[in-house]
Amino acid sequence: MDTASRLLSYQGIPVWRHVQIIQWAVQIVSGILVVALVVWFFSNMVNAIQDRDIPSGFSFLSREYQTPIGEHFLPYESSDTFLYALFVGITNTAIVAVAGVFLATALGIFIGVSRLSSNWIVSKLAMVYIEFFRNVPLLVQLFFWFYIVLELPAIRESFVVADAFYLSNRGFSMPWPKATDYSIAGIWLGLAAVAIVAGWLVYRRQSRMEEQTGRSGYPLIYSLATALVIGAIAWLILSFAGGSSPFYISIPEPQGRFGNIVGGFTARAGLLVLLTGLVMYTASFIAEIVRAGIQSVGRGQTEAARALGLSPMSTLRSVTFPQAMRVIIPPLISQFLNLTKNSSLGGAVAYSDLTNIAVTMTQTAPAVSIFMLIMASYLAMSLTWSLIGNLYNRHIRFVGG
Amino acid sequence: MASPPLSQPEGMLPPRSEVGVIGWLHANLFSSLFNSVLTLVSGALLVTGLWFGLKWIFLAADWTVIAELGGRFLLGRYNTEAACEGQNCFWRPQAALIMVSLLLGAAWGLRGNRVARTVAWLVAGVSAAFAFLPYSLETMGLDVRILLLLNLPAVPLGWALARYTPMGTGTRVTILGVAIFFLTLILLRGLPAVPFLQPVSVVYWGGLSLNLILAVGGITLSLPIGIALALGRRSNLPVVKVLCVFFIEVFRGVPLITLLFMSQTLVPLAFPEDMPQNSLFRAAVVITLFSSAYMAENIRGGLQALHPGQAEAARALGLPGWQTTMLISLPQAIRNVIPAIVGQFIGLFKDTSLVYIIGMLDVVAIGRSFIQSNPEYLPSARELFVFLAAVFWIFTYGMSYISGKVEDYLGVGRR
Repeated sequence: MDTASRLLSYQGIPVWRHVQIIQWAVQIVSGILVVALVVWFFSNMVNAIQDRDIPSGFSFLSREYQTPIGEHFLPYESSDTFLYALFVGITNTAIVAVAGVFLATALGIFIGVSRLSSNWIVSKLAMVYIEFFRNVPLLVQLFFWFYIVLELPAIRESFVVADAFYLSNRGFSMPWPKATDYSIAGIWLGLAAVAIVAGWLVYRRQSRMEEQTGRSGYPLIYSLATALVIGAIAWLILSFAGGSSPFYISIPEPQGRFGNIVGGFTARAGLLVLLTGLVMYTASFIAEIVRAGIQSVGRGQTEAARALGLSPMSTLRSVTFPQAMRVIIPPLISQFLNLTKNSSLGGAVAYSDLTNIAVTMTQTAPAVSIFMLIMASYLAMSLTWSLIGNLYNRHIRFVGG
Repeated sequence: MASPPLSQPEGMLPPRSEVGVIGWLHANLFSSLFNSVLTLVSGALLVTGLWFGLKWIFLAADWTVIAELGGRFLLGRYNTEAACEGQNCFWRPQAALIMVSLLLGAAWGLRGNRVARTVAWLVAGVSAAFAFLPYSLETMGLDVRILLLLNLPAVPLGWALARYTPMGTGTRVTILGVAIFFLTLILLRGLPAVPFLQPVSVVYWGGLSLNLILAVGGITLSLPIGIALALGRRSNLPVVKVLCVFFIEVFRGVPLITLLFMSQTLVPLAFPEDMPQNSLFRAAVVITLFSSAYMAENIRGGLQALHPGQAEAARALGLPGWQTTMLISLPQAIRNVIPAIVGQFIGLFKDTSLVYIIGMLDVVAIGRSFIQSNPEYLPSARELFVFLAAVFWIFTYGMSYISGKVEDYLGVGRR
């Protein structure tokens, strides 16, 4: 070994063939490259901001937004601040996301189970649904629903069902519980939470007893009864003490010359279109996930359950579904994430979601700061879904043993 | 001793209710009371749906909006007076289309593959059929029609090229494909100071051709980038791993629409002012990177599902690390997640419709802007979006069909 290669060797191996040294070199080089790129972008941005006098910073957040927001569930005035307007946007997105997730999961499970039906027509109908809604861009579907809603009758000639549900080109109205007095309603909600916890404890106790003794503990019936009784007693006491029940059902009613609908809950056209589109689209993906999950459970499992004398319904509920859930949950959560992110298409159908509000804001406030804020908001929402999914995933894995 | 002849005893024939049409009906539609009720209800639903659907399509619907938009669906505002002043640019996309037919023909010639043959003839056949659209000769000239018809001979030409010339190797046809992609871009964009190739601003690109260009570019690039990210995420080098995880999670955590907005407002600031800027290019990069982040997770899933014994055996045989990855792990991992990868390709193709955000008039946006600027066509919105849904459906369903064929060929789930 000559001096040159001895000098360039480490642990007796030439440095250019030493795995550890190569790995460190790769890491240092890639690290430096990325840092250099980020620094370059950042300095360009700072230069541009200084040269072109582009506003920056976060001081705008306490300024008045001065722009109306089409649809909002929190009280909002144009004189509210940017920060509050962003918060209104986050709520709007969150409401669509949560409502959409519930409806899409229900529809998706229904379609997915139909797809596996032994009935040929039902199975084929489900297949047509899946293949159609999955393969057409959400934007096209949203525009389609947008113009369908536009063609609905005017508010005075709404479709009415049972004098309580109204559908017109302005939106969809339905009965909705409303608080009579906010403090009493708040107390009752707190007590209702207590009732749910009590019900859950009873459920655990009864099912443990069932497991240990083999006698039927009827956990579901007992827990529901506990929760309902506590809730009802709280309701009655509060009604007597406060003079009126904590909540009442507000029924929508057309009023005045223009037949505007007052009371109940009204999903305006934008929300209606966005929700319909998102639910129909996401349900097709969820249906495929449910189908794949159920099919992943070995046929022997079902056969064994049937041989033990379980009814088809019990087999599905206690044998197939719990095992399928483990396969279903991870992709299902990523569909929830997709639905939340896809709700940013709201702007295309006149719904003021977070992205839509933020983009409007960039006209009067620094774009850099706003995009940082909405990126952080979306990442937080994604993390929330992932967290829920992971918790649930751990739960079912534990139960499955 | 001869065994008695095997013949089916008279009484052992299956009952008539278990075979043939009646047997099928019994097994699939009327196996139980519940099933029979389900059949009647869903059958009634199906019949009413079909009745009203077909009645709408053939009698009630007014398809003139489709005819009115015509070529704009395919090319947007490309061939307008504003896009190419004083020149006729119609032949440039047509020439690109002929090259694509040639390429598809070559792909067919390469392996004699039935799927490739079907796709090649389908594309060329549909293009040629457009030559016979009943527009007047003033709206759609004879030159356009002749160029469209030229797609038909392009397919056998490409086939012969791959069969009988030294072009017929996989590598060369791939290079031809990449070359044709860039030639198409140059043809559409034009070159300064070249006669007949006057530059056309990308602002005027549009229609389905824009969706297809974005999708082809994005699909080709997002797979290798996704593979690199997936390998980086599984690497045992902490710096590389952290960078890849950060990239993947940020791109997956934020909606594509938000990213596209950012690409138009923030990204230009991050580059020096005197650098040439192209909004379409930025959007294409964002769509590609967004898709690569998802692709990386799909491939990572495939790599994770692979039995560690595969890599261990390869190392035991003396293969170095990168060869183990490239020759043993990756091919198996990718084969196992082909459905997810194709699903992502389909997602990318659907996502190209989001370029309306940067003001590009893709096939969806051109239809919508037409309706908005011509309110007399407002009642035809339903027809328009049903048509657009059908157009997208044909492409995306075609992609999943081809993916199914590839899976069969590679034996996914059987080996």
